[in-house]
Amino acid sequence: MAREQQLTKVFVEVADSLIDDFDLIDFLQRLSERCVELLDVAACGVLLADEHDVLQVLAASDENTRLLELFALQYDQGPCVECYRSGRPRTNIDLADPNASQAWPQFTPAALQSGFLSTNAIPMRLRGRVIGALGLFQTRDSALSDADTALAQALADVATIAILQQRTLAHSETERGQLQYALTSRIVLEQVKGILAERWQVTPDQAFAAFRAYARSHHHQLSHLARLIADGEFDTDQIPRSPRHR
Amino acid sequence: MISDGMAEVLRLLQRDEGFDAAADVAVLAAVTLGVTGLTVSLATGGDRAELMWCTDEAAGIFEDLQFTLGEGPGPEAVRGDAMVLVPDLALVRPERWPALSVEAADLAARAVFCFPMGIGAIRVGVLTLVRRTAGPLTDGQVGDAQVLAHALAGRALGSVVPGPNGAAPADSADALLHAVVHQATGMVSVQLDVSLPQALARLRAHAYSSGRPLTDVSRDVVARRLRLDLNGNGDGNPLPVSDKD
Repeated sequence: MAREQQLTKVFVEVADSLIDDFDLIDFLQRLSERCVELLDVAACGVLLADEHDVLQVLAASDENTRLLELFALQYDQGPCVECYRSGRPRTNIDLADPNASQAWPQFTPAALQSGFLSTNAIPMRLRGRVIGALGLFQTRDSALSDADTALAQALADVATIAILQQRTLAHSETERGQLQYALTSRIVLEQVKGILAERWQVTPDQAFAAFRAYARSHHHQLSHLARLIADGEFDTDQIPRSPRHR
Repeated sequence: MISDGMAEVLRLLQRDEGFDAAADVAVLAAVTLGVTGLTVSLATGGDRAELMWCTDEAAGIFEDLQFTLGEGPGPEAVRGDAMVLVPDLALVRPERWPALSVEAADLAARAVFCFPMGIGAIRVGVLTLVRRTAGPLTDGQVGDAQVLAHALAGRALGSVVPGPNGAAPADSADALLHAVVHQATGMVSVQLDVSLPQALARLRAHAYSSGRPLTDVSRDVVARRLRLDLNGNGDGNPLPVSDKD
């Protein structure tokens, strides 16, 4: 698909989501997937700062635990932390460069081990304040152009808007309250992955795939359904365990 | 960034010198946050809450009232998983909390700010700040209050284990950033048929007694290399150790 067509698709998707009652984590996940397609990168993650100014993963293009852990490693070091603190994008960072492993001794080898060659971090800004960062990883040696960086910034801005737009569920008039609700939703989702993985005797990643497929096809919001399951108010036997075979 | 005052409150909280000291810490926290008083209520299942901290009568009366009526910023914060800030109770639409609005006029509380305490679906309770005068919290005070609520939640969930030389944190500050810890909590809750907070407590107890980081123990649980028994020991159902993932 031509980039213009892809972009149009993303715009339609974004517009559709933001005027409707939407699930933030699901939305950010789709947005991360679009980032991967549009920017020709291998992985993308949305990181949001918590009350301790520590970055937490809200969503990633690929929900596997290994990638989530790689983003989580950036809590105190890595390009996303530097981008969050400075408010400036950090692009085309060569992970094989000795400077990278010196600057981020835990993050860099872990990223290399996951097969990534370079990384980028784009700030998520809200009225002059930085609230998080978009992290992008590449497995090929292809630099992001200025146009790519501008597009990445636009997508980061969309992510910020979405976080502030989730009023209907968050019921919170304050921006901080909305950020808090988003971060809590992410944790509930991980707890529910564990609950389902054990009930079904599968991995958390497999459990999540089945859970998400069910939520999407039944128009349930991921966060809401996850809360019901965690509170024991939803019969999880209703969820088919292997979405691929339906 | 948290203020120096709140950093001191957290230090005192960590030292844990018993009930009398806790009352002083609560008063210091109220002063730091620029409010008249504060309460900390622990959820004890259902809608009832148990008062853990209460600095003064006005704050205590307000807390009792909203949990008796089952409505107000506190119950709303707990149910909604987000802070509820009410800089002026007199300006709240009566239909938001109908019963409370009738009673609140007679109370000394004019501004109320509620911060939920919890980790994901684990709802521990709520921190409520009460002020006699109207007006918002500063952005820094909101941040401080969030950090305090988080620390109190950690305490209530046993993140601090008393050791021979005073209290020591059972896990590193970043442990709860790891998806794998929350996944393991969910798994253990099903394996042992216990609540999520109990499952997290078992994981912590095992990490503490085996001298390993909570994240490592959690990874083993998720990879099914380790299964906790009802006492939180790792010999519930010993599994052959497979290759690291």
